[in-house]
Amino acid sequence: MMNKEIALEIKKLNKSFLDENNEAEDILTNFNLQVEKNEFLCILGPSGCGKTTLLRCIAGFEKCQGEILVNGQQKTEPGIDRIMVFQDFNQLFPWKTVEKNIQYPLKQQGIKDKAVLDQLTSEYLEKVNLPGIQKKYPHQLSGGMKQRVAIAKALALKPQIILMDEPFAALDAMTRNKLLAEVQNISKTEDCTFMFITHNIQEAIVLGTRVMVMASGGKVKFDEKNTIEHPVTPASEGYGKLWKRLHDALEE
Amino acid sequence: MDKSRRRIQRIIVQVIFLISVAIIWEVTAKAHVFGERSELVFPTLEAIGTAFIRNFTEGYANVSFWVYILNSMKLLLIGLFMGIALSFVLTGFALMNKVFYDIYNLVVSVFDLLPGVALLPVVIVMFGINPAVIVFLVVHAVIWPMSRNMLDGFKAVPRIYVEAGKNIGMKGMKLLFGIYIPATTSYIVSGMKVSWARAWRGLISAEMIFGIASCPGIGLYINQMRTNMKNAEMYATLIVIIIIGVVVQYGILEPIEKNTIKRWGMTK
Repeated sequence: MMNKEIALEIKKLNKSFLDENNEAEDILTNFNLQVEKNEFLCILGPSGCGKTTLLRCIAGFEKCQGEILVNGQQKTEPGIDRIMVFQDFNQLFPWKTVEKNIQYPLKQQGIKDKAVLDQLTSEYLEKVNLPGIQKKYPHQLSGGMKQRVAIAKALALKPQIILMDEPFAALDAMTRNKLLAEVQNISKTEDCTFMFITHNIQEAIVLGTRVMVMASGGKVKFDEKNTIEHPVTPASEGYGKLWKRLHDALEE
Repeated sequence: MDKSRRRIQRIIVQVIFLISVAIIWEVTAKAHVFGERSELVFPTLEAIGTAFIRNFTEGYANVSFWVYILNSMKLLLIGLFMGIALSFVLTGFALMNKVFYDIYNLVVSVFDLLPGVALLPVVIVMFGINPAVIVFLVVHAVIWPMSRNMLDGFKAVPRIYVEAGKNIGMKGMKLLFGIYIPATTSYIVSGMKVSWARAWRGLISAEMIFGIASCPGIGLYINQMRTNMKNAEMYATLIVIIIIGVVVQYGILEPIEKNTIKRWGMTK
């Protein structure tokens, strides 16, 4: 284990929100986590257990105590090394075409060459199976397409970590399965670490190379490598057992 | 199919309505229902038509009507531009600084309620009788509704756009111009509509209250027609005012709307 590179390390993370009576409500207390490079970590947990807050802290959207280290460097502000893919379909800028949505962050990073930008755009749109939609505006796309563009946009930036907060929760089951397969393929080829929040046990088992279950207060109740052979289907060996254990961990 | 039929139907209804109004007007004019005053209250359409042409060919006191129109439009455009630019700067600054936001919010709420014409006496004392007064009133007409709309718009920017922007390393001015302003476009466009309407009214009113000999405008022209009892010319000038309004509405504001919020699916 020692030879594996650590992409993300969280030490003694504390985060609390003020409730309506101005009393501090602890969401995460003394939370510690290490994520290896190129790992696909799926986080399950009931609503309100702090998994979204955890992701938002990592992304730098929330002020919190403790240390968040990416490749050994402490992070306190948002940055392109940690790109968030939200659940909300409206994360693309409606005033920009698909192409501009993908290229805008790249331009912010100083890539000005039009040929390079166009090449990156078509490359990543093809990765999410949406070739040729460069000139469309987000409102002309379906929810599933918007999420795919958001993923393409995130990948094109070549971040260290992609943070996905239930990106497919609002999609129908068929579209969701298609996107899961796509994300899985992408995660194998891209040099990138994934953290993926879900409510769906199947999603976690299919995608995750490691699965974690959180309980309220940010306690980790389950944290194991997923050894089921890919591609994972409900018929895979060990699927039922793992499903049951995760289900029980969530029920407790 | 259904949509285009509905459109044709709408145009036919509107054309019939306009023709009916014209006929009623003409009959009333010819019938002399107001006796002696009839020619002043209801000049015939022919009289208004010839006055319309005479406005442009002869003007008043050897000054062409075009000069009046151009003067008004010049002051209006300067005021509009200054007002909109100031709104962007001040609301932008309000977004960055909480103390300034609180102050500016109060200032906007107070001045938004103040009709520009009511400020005239003070402004005249400040600037004297000169075109700067008109520009001041136009800026006053534009800046408050525009700022109010933008302040409300900034508040309504979905958090997800701001976070998506911060996520790709945007801060400060970049965030303002890259996220806040485009995300507020629908508010900006409606602010521009309100501002333009107020500015146009304010301009004509101010010009009617006091004419500036060095920079005569449309409002002054109407007033000159009134004092000379040239009522047909007065009506003809009203038509010009309406035409300018329509041109701005359909020639400028609608294309802006069509190329921004309609294209982006931010409105129906």
